[in-house]
Amino acid sequence: MEVNQEVAVGVIKNKMKSIFILIGLMGLGTIVFSQEEKVYKKRVLESTEVDFLMSYYAQDGENAAVTGGIGTEELTDITPTIVISIPLNDDDVLTIDAGISAYTSASSSNVNALDIDNPNAFTTSTGASGADTWTNVVGSYSHSSDDRNKVWTAKLSVASEYDYFSVGLGGSYSLLFNEKNTELGISGNVYFDQWNAIYPMELRPFGDSEQNINGSYLGYSLRGNPNYSPNFKAFNDEGRNTYAIGLSLSQILSRRMQGVLMADYVIQDGLLSTPFQRVYFKDVDNTYINDFHLAEGIEMMPGNRTKIAVGGRLNYYINEYLVLRTYLRYYSDDWGISSQTASIEIPIKAFNRITLYPSYRYYFQTAADYFLPYDQHLSTDAYYTSDYDLSEYTASQFSFGISYTDIFTKCHIGKYGVKNINLKISYYERDSGLNGMLIAGGVKFVLDK
Amino acid sequence: MIKKLCIVAIVFSSLTACTVVKEYEKVNLNDPDMELNARKSDRFETNFHSYREAASGANGGKSGGGCGCN
Repeated sequence: MEVNQEVAVGVIKNKMKSIFILIGLMGLGTIVFSQEEKVYKKRVLESTEVDFLMSYYAQDGENAAVTGGIGTEELTDITPTIVISIPLNDDDVLTIDAGISAYTSASSSNVNALDIDNPNAFTTSTGASGADTWTNVVGSYSHSSDDRNKVWTAKLSVASEYDYFSVGLGGSYSLLFNEKNTELGISGNVYFDQWNAIYPMELRPFGDSEQNINGSYLGYSLRGNPNYSPNFKAFNDEGRNTYAIGLSLSQILSRRMQGVLMADYVIQDGLLSTPFQRVYFKDVDNTYINDFHLAEGIEMMPGNRTKIAVGGRLNYYINEYLVLRTYLRYYSDDWGISSQTASIEIPIKAFNRITLYPSYRYYFQTAADYFLPYDQHLSTDAYYTSDYDLSEYTASQFSFGISYTDIFTKCHIGKYGVKNINLKISYYERDSGLNGMLIAGGVKFVLDK
Repeated sequence: MIKKLCIVAIVFSSLTACTVVKEYEKVNLNDPDMELNARKSDRFETNFHSYREAASGANGGKSGGGCGCN
C-alpha cells in the first residue's frame, strides 16, 4: 500500500514537473511571441539637433532698380540663423527655424537720394532706407507613420521687415512605396503678405496733394524741365497673396543612382510691383536736382502672376571618394519670363571626415514683357519696370565648399556633440554686370542622450 | 519644352518598375552626399537666387511669398 502511495506521489511529482515545464515553455513562448509582435521602430530623429548657420553676401553692379536701371547696386547682408529640431517621440519632430537678416544697401538708400550735397544714382545716400533687418521664424511639425512610409508636415511662418510683413501656412504629405525605392510628395503653401509701401522721396508730396512746381522743389532748384509733374499715384491695396502647390517624385534607379523630379505651380495676386523702384520715360522731359534724375513714375506690374517650375536632381555615387550631383530646372511665367538652370557638384571625400564641394551653376532667363532699360519706357504704357532682375541675362556661379563630419560626435561643447561643420564660398556673375559673393557656413550640434 | 519635360517625367516614373534596391543594398545611396533634398546651409544660396533671379521653385526651397522678392 505504502509502495503504491510512493509510486503515486512519484507519478504526481513527475506530472507536476511536466506541467511546470510546459507552463515555463508556454511563458517563454509567449515572451518570444510578444517580442515578435513588437515591431522594431527606429526613432525618426534620435535626439535634439541644433544648427547654427550664418551667411555673408555682398554684391555690386550699376543697374539699380531703385534709380530706374542705372546707379549702384552695392549691397551687403549678414544672416545668422538657428534651426532646432526636437524629437517629441519616436514619430514626431518639432522644428523651429529663426533667422535675422541685417543688410545695408546703397541702392535702397537712394529711395531718399536728396539727403547729401550732390546726389546722383551712383552715390550712396545716408537715409534710413539704406539699412533694414528681415526677421523670419518658421515652426514645423512632422509625423511619420509606424512603417515610416507616410510622412506629413504642417508649417507656420512669419516674416517681417520695415516695409513688408508676411504670414505663411503650409503642409506636405509624402508616401514611400516599392520597398522605399519610390517616394511621392505633395505640398501646398499660402502666404498672405502686406506691404507698408515706401515711395521715392521726391514723389511722396504728390501722394498727398497736387503740387505746383515752379523751378524749385523740396528746397532744391530744378535743372532740366522746371515743371516737374511725375506720373504718380499711391497704391490703394498693399496686400500680396501667394498660393503654391508642389509635386515631387523620388526614385532609386540603381544601387548607385537616385533622382527626383519636382514641379511647382504658383499663383500670385495683389501688389506685385515694388513701390520704391523708379521708372523714367523717354517721352517725358527730364528734371534733375543737381545730378539726380527725379522719378517720373514707379514700377507698375500686373496684379496677377502665374509661375510654373519643373526641375530634377540626379545623383550618382561614383566611388567611395566621388559623388556626382546634378540639377536641371525649367521655369516659365505669364510675365513673359522663361529660364533654364543647370548645376553640377562633385563632392570629393578627400580626407577622413572631410569632404570638398566644388560646383558650378548656370542660369539664363529671358526678359519680362514689361522690362526696358533706363529712360526707354513710354508713359502711355500700362506696365513698366527697369528692374534688371527681370531683364534678359546669363549668370554663372562658381562655388567651393568644405565640410567636416563626425557621426560619432567626439568633439563636445557641454552636452552637445559637434556632428558637422561646413563652409562654402560662391562667386556669382551676370553678363549684365552684376556680381556677388556669398560666404555661408554652419555648425550642427547633437544633444547627448 | 514642357512636352519634353513631361516625356522625361513619364520615362522617369516608368523606371520604378526596373529595379528594386533592397534596404541592405542602399549603403551607397545612404551616403549624406547622395541626399536629394537641399542642404540646410544651401538655403542662403536659394534665398539670394530668389531675390536676384526671376525664376524660383522646383528646388525644394520657397517658391514665393515671405519677402519682397519674387
